[in-house]
Amino acid sequence: MNGRRRNACFTMLLLLVFGIGLMSTPQAIQAASGPLVYDYAELLSDEEEAALAGLAARLGANRETDFIIITLDGTGGMDIQDYVAHFYDETAPGYDKPHGNAAILAIDLKERDVFLAGFGKAETRLDSGRLDKIRTKITPSLSEGEYYEAFERYVKLAHQYMGYRPGVNPDNILFKFWFQAAVSLVVAGAAVGVMAINSGGRVTVNARTYLDETRSGIVAKHDRFINKTVTRTKIEKPSSGGGSFGGGGGGGVTPGGRSFSSSRGKF
Amino acid sequence: MIYDADTGKLACPSCRTRLDIEEMDVPREPAGEATETVTWHCNNCGADLMALPETAATTCSFCGAGVVIAERVTGDQSPHYVIPFTISKEEAIKAFKKWCRNGLLTPKGFMTADRIKSITGIYVPFWLYDLNSRARVNATATKVRTYTSGDYLYTETSYYDVYRELDLHYVKVPVDASVKMDDRFMDRLEPYQYSGLKEFKPPYLAGYLAEKYQFTDAELLDRAKNKIRSYIESAIGSSLSGYTTVTRLSEDIETRNVKSHYVLLPVWLVVYDYDNFEHNFVMNGQTGKVVGKPPLSYGKIAAWFGGIAAGVFLAMKFLSLAMGGGFL
Repeated sequence: MNGRRRNACFTMLLLLVFGIGLMSTPQAIQAASGPLVYDYAELLSDEEEAALAGLAARLGANRETDFIIITLDGTGGMDIQDYVAHFYDETAPGYDKPHGNAAILAIDLKERDVFLAGFGKAETRLDSGRLDKIRTKITPSLSEGEYYEAFERYVKLAHQYMGYRPGVNPDNILFKFWFQAAVSLVVAGAAVGVMAINSGGRVTVNARTYLDETRSGIVAKHDRFINKTVTRTKIEKPSSGGGSFGGGGGGGVTPGGRSFSSSRGKF
Repeated sequence: MIYDADTGKLACPSCRTRLDIEEMDVPREPAGEATETVTWHCNNCGADLMALPETAATTCSFCGAGVVIAERVTGDQSPHYVIPFTISKEEAIKAFKKWCRNGLLTPKGFMTADRIKSITGIYVPFWLYDLNSRARVNATATKVRTYTSGDYLYTETSYYDVYRELDLHYVKVPVDASVKMDDRFMDRLEPYQYSGLKEFKPPYLAGYLAEKYQFTDAELLDRAKNKIRSYIESAIGSSLSGYTTVTRLSEDIETRNVKSHYVLLPVWLVVYDYDNFEHNFVMNGQTGKVVGKPPLSYGKIAAWFGGIAAGVFLAMKFLSLAMGGGFL
């Protein structure tokens, strides 16, 4: 079992190294779930809507989660959080089952609210801290009116973050492809450079080769204390609930009794 | 008679007579000026030949007999010491081939080392300097201690006025005194084992080429000082350890030449023909260390680069996986 898993892992590595199928996420069986894009505010063209739905379906299948986008021009007087909670209760989305795994991005043009929620698996994998991060990253595009770009980014980030174990910082530089690639290239370059330099023979004498240690040494020295300075800084106490990777401040429970993680803001 | 690297004696290839050089009594009469090209007479076959001004020993072009030009190794020109060859020509070829095989980036065709064009044993003139350096350094140094008390983090920095005076003796620092030899190659040939130093006697040169010095010890003193500059630096650095930061205020280094010796050190010159291009290598005639600039194979460089990059990339991916960051 363990060996098989390792074998599977190794095969994937090989594929990766040879650059094949870097993003070949398996086209798993699409669960019978409802639409993923609810463009009530008419912000997207038909093509954009189809493209987003396709992307969300493809990446969602990989994480077994519905990535849902809702655009609104007014919520009919409701708070956007209540709106999304009701929406989840009534529409019952979910990749695996009704009221299943789902991440919801809702924006309201009237109040200029942006709200993100994670249900089911997405509640732990996209905790409020991670949703905050996604919101921070897409808010500038939303403010610019580049809705398609913002939604696309949301789907991709949600997909990416859900691949990380709960509790770790998804923005850790060690997880970034470009950083991993850069480190490998730099290390390989340095190693080959050293090999090339040493190919013609290395210097094998050092500071002690010609030193007569019996006669050499310190003949005079002093270490006089002059003065001392002390600075103090207040230790920042981690504010409760602000630990952005541990659950975050958001979250709530739908009227139907289903808990979720969340993040909200303005754009 | 030629010098035999295996036995360390003079040997006659015809009658197998062996002579112990250390027991030979070779007169060292002062000789006249020897700066010009000289004509010398081969005692073996009677030919008259010309020799370049720096040549101290050579072989007769007609009969191959080893000849030492006496006036160039006597008097002022007489070397103090010599390290005789301990690696014979055959061993040198073998060692060179082995070295070529171990080249990580050299092309395959080069690694077989089957195109050695010539291999020549030459005694290269060196000056060995005994140097004494005095270094006086004034510096401001700090020690930093941090601790917490209550809600505060305290950083305590103590400042010190620091002085160090070092007396450093460097013995037998070698600097090559030949114009022809590439200094960078010669520096990398080091170290020579000085336990092999012998009092100079001309018969050691028999069968090899030898040059006399073309720079005086005074002319090369600066290069010797340069060579130990980094050594002094590291000695100063280690004498100032124990502090968090050290800022040097003044640094005064005086180096004087205590004495210098003129020595001849053994070097094998290997000319290697590869890809219609001659590559020169030098080998330490005592230790067998090889120095040179071998050709590099772009294919191998690419392979190593790709292999290491892929390996590190995988390691990073596993690290990411282990930290919960996912694989893709």
